[in-house]
Amino acid sequence: MTSIPTIAGAAAAIAEGRLSPVALTEACLERIDRHEPKLNSFIRLERERALASARAAEAEIKAGRRRGALHGIPFAHKDIYETAGIPTTCHSKLLQDYVPARDAFTVARLAEAGIVMLGKLATHEFAVGGPSFDLPWPPARNPWAREHFPGGSSSGTGAAVAAGFVLGGTGSCTGGSIRLPAAYCGLAGIKPTYGLVSRTGIQPLAFTLDHSGPLAWTVEDCAILLQAMAGHDPADPASAKVAIPDYRAGLDGGIKGQRIGVIRHFFEKDMKVAPEVGAAMEASIGVLRQLGASVRDVTLPQLQDWNACGWLILVAEAYTVHEPWLRTRYNDYGKNFRDRIGLGAFFTAADYISAIRFRRELQEKMAKVMTEVDLLVLPTAAVPAPRLTEVGSYSSFETPNFTMPFNISGLPALALCNGFSGTGLPLSLQIVGRPFEDALVLRAGHAYETATSWKERRPAL
Amino acid sequence: MPAPNPKISRDDFEALVRRSGLPLSESQKSELYGAYGYVEAIAERVRAGGMRPREVEPAVIFKPAAKTGGSP
Repeated sequence: MTSIPTIAGAAAAIAEGRLSPVALTEACLERIDRHEPKLNSFIRLERERALASARAAEAEIKAGRRRGALHGIPFAHKDIYETAGIPTTCHSKLLQDYVPARDAFTVARLAEAGIVMLGKLATHEFAVGGPSFDLPWPPARNPWAREHFPGGSSSGTGAAVAAGFVLGGTGSCTGGSIRLPAAYCGLAGIKPTYGLVSRTGIQPLAFTLDHSGPLAWTVEDCAILLQAMAGHDPADPASAKVAIPDYRAGLDGGIKGQRIGVIRHFFEKDMKVAPEVGAAMEASIGVLRQLGASVRDVTLPQLQDWNACGWLILVAEAYTVHEPWLRTRYNDYGKNFRDRIGLGAFFTAADYISAIRFRRELQEKMAKVMTEVDLLVLPTAAVPAPRLTEVGSYSSFETPNFTMPFNISGLPALALCNGFSGTGLPLSLQIVGRPFEDALVLRAGHAYETATSWKERRPAL
Repeated sequence: MPAPNPKISRDDFEALVRRSGLPLSESQKSELYGAYGYVEAIAERVRAGGMRPREVEPAVIFKPAAKTGGSP
């Protein structure tokens, strides 16, 4: 097998008997053997387990018991997702020997759907401290340019999917950790509506901002994965009991007549983007217009407000999670984690309460704008992937990002490739919808993706 | 962008560190003191709205759908 299929493509070939899950898994493992040492995307590879799982999938399918589009598909989990009997380290010395007894809710759901789990993927330490060179495992690298950052904190997922080691993977997102790796690695990644996908069994970073979701090569693949991951979980207090639509079935509906708002002041005034990011954004708006959407600018509170509110909540809540260990095992954390989350010791209760009240104000302003448009668009990142060495402990406090507003508001937000920089690094468009209108977000992303040819390009490893 | 200079004095910062119970070395204290300006800047922006109205409620708010129809 020379080319890397999408999940949709592999699923069709498996269903028709043209592709064997075992052959597909072996091809992924062979690719991992050749290229993983350059990328550090895996913390743990489960080769024998994966092959046994692929053989079992193949036998089931041959016996006429195919479970669906994910049956026999090579996949891997960010290493903050608990996996029964398999270490879940959170990329940290503190948990390097931790072996959970149970699978996370979403791990179990994806296993029931028939994925072939190849292993556990690199992250930032506890999904926030990275990229770091002082942890038990090195940071993942970007397959498009190995000295560059693959984004974080779902960095291993971004790198592994872009490299074709797996066809999809899980991510988690507290301030951008699904969409930024998707952006920097040229992938599609969706942060679903808050409450749509369970967080049970996923290491918390910040209770009220954490989301989980998938990354894959295409929007269609994200729709397939979200179908398996979404659904009510009584064990997650934020889990919503809502009907789950058929995300894939609605993909071809197009966006004719949809009202799209461009948050132009975010990327032209509040945080100026690189010229090629701005040019890609204008070209994307042109594509959306050609597809029949009406597009106009909208105004929200300044980007810096969303980021200040989000980072205060994130740091304070993460500090609360880690305080016992920070007091007793401070030096077992990496420097990036200590620098960022250590600051949580100094926010006051009044600061935190002010932030959650501020969040309520911001949410209401976002909700008002969403009565005037159906979707929002903006860049996912201001620049293409920076070099790993350019990402400092306090980068996130210095430069506001375009992803945090949708963790604050809980709205579904999709990142997808919308071009390449002059140096060959991916650029990314972000599409945002109303709560629980994830299907429309995916539909718009799919319409854009199929109208353009960006997905034909793969990184040369 | 470099960290904004902290407004808090080093002595006052040391008191906050003692209260936190974090076992910081001198160099770690210096690192966090150097970054304390971010704490101040973020908190200042979050509080910039001043006194927020009572209805900006941080707790759970139930908004049941309004009842329609029925007899007066």
